[in-house]
Amino acid sequence: MLNTIYGDNLPEMEKTREEVISVIEDERERLRKKYDADPVEHLLSRIKSEESMREKCRRKGIPETSYSALHVIRDAIGVRAVCDFLNDVYELRNALVKRFETVEEKDYIKNVKPNGYRSLHLILKDNDFYVEVQLRTISMDTWAALEHNIRYKRDISGNTELIAKELKRCADELASTDVQMQTLRDLINGEL
Amino acid sequence: MKLLFAEDTVDLSRAVTALLEREGYYVDAVYDGRQALEHIKSESYDGIILDIMMPEKDGLEVLKEIRGMRIITPVLMLTAKSEVDDKVTGLELGADDYLTKPFAIKELIARVKAMTRRYTKYSGDSLKFGDITLESDSFELSSKNAVRLSVKEFELLQSLIVNSNTAVDDRFFLDHVWNDEPDATDDTVNLYIMYLKGKLKAIGSNTEITKDEDGNYKITYNGK
Repeated sequence: MLNTIYGDNLPEMEKTREEVISVIEDERERLRKKYDADPVEHLLSRIKSEESMREKCRRKGIPETSYSALHVIRDAIGVRAVCDFLNDVYELRNALVKRFETVEEKDYIKNVKPNGYRSLHLILKDNDFYVEVQLRTISMDTWAALEHNIRYKRDISGNTELIAKELKRCADELASTDVQMQTLRDLINGEL
Repeated sequence: MKLLFAEDTVDLSRAVTALLEREGYYVDAVYDGRQALEHIKSESYDGIILDIMMPEKDGLEVLKEIRGMRIITPVLMLTAKSEVDDKVTGLELGADDYLTKPFAIKELIARVKAMTRRYTKYSGDSLKFGDITLESDSFELSSKNAVRLSVKEFELLQSLIVNSNTAVDDRFFLDHVWNDEPDATDDTVNLYIMYLKGKLKAIGSNTEITKDEDGNYKITYNGK
């Protein structure tokens, strides 16, 4: 049987996942009409696989039970929305926070991680299930993908301190571009 | 530091070259404008001393040509004339300084030293204002977080900070930051101010840029 770590909660978890997606899609449609352009570049969602969840439980040193999977670990249901513009990240955030109970919010855009990582993380609760939502811009997503790639590479040749510093510089330069693009959109739409 | 010294009076050239070399400079001495141009085109100098009256090409022609090639090496003009016209022409063509003959070699050396001091708009450490720090070498703007600025954004912000106690408007920035570029307008300045405002917000700063009814910009922190 697939996903036994979730017990028989899978159908309900799917409903929650779909509910979160639907709220995002509604907001996406509203913004699409407003700006005559799709604000979301891509939208991903998944229920963590049995294997990944078990591995995470082991890593955290907790028993591989459905309690761990559904009440201790909070990203069994994961959603990531990648937006074109900075403000749209916050529009989606507002729509989600309005509709769902927000258990935790970590804004790494306003409080950048030391390595340069930027995103807005939300842990929502719906129907007793936790959902981890990551909201970010295309630039942030690009950087995160590259950084992940580099960090998980087994043998890193070269000066790791220099690489880390340069990665941060890239992150800060990409963030600058995001601000500029948002400013240009505001200017074009008369929102300045 | 390497200098090019173009002067057709050989005795004067020898005397000055010897003293400049004693000051620690490497000097390439040439005796006419054509040689001067050849050297400048093929080598890189920290400073150029040009006599105006030279055979082949005079100092003003050489100056005009090298500035036309976008060579920004500082230039000191020398002349036997003390005519204001020559001085004005030289400075307008892009010379950095001017010395009339006869001159005290001590003064020439002092002016050469002043001219070749490593100076750029970007030298110096970081500039601080309110809750922000602006780095001259990396163009990094930081407060709680950090972002990077483009050249124009950097110069605009630097200008706002340095002039925080004077009235500065679009015209001021068009002159000092955009150097009267034909494509730059008030809209350009406005846009870049908007960029800066966005970036100040992105780094979590409470420093603000405001514009009053007279069109003067001001950078403030906590109302000051």
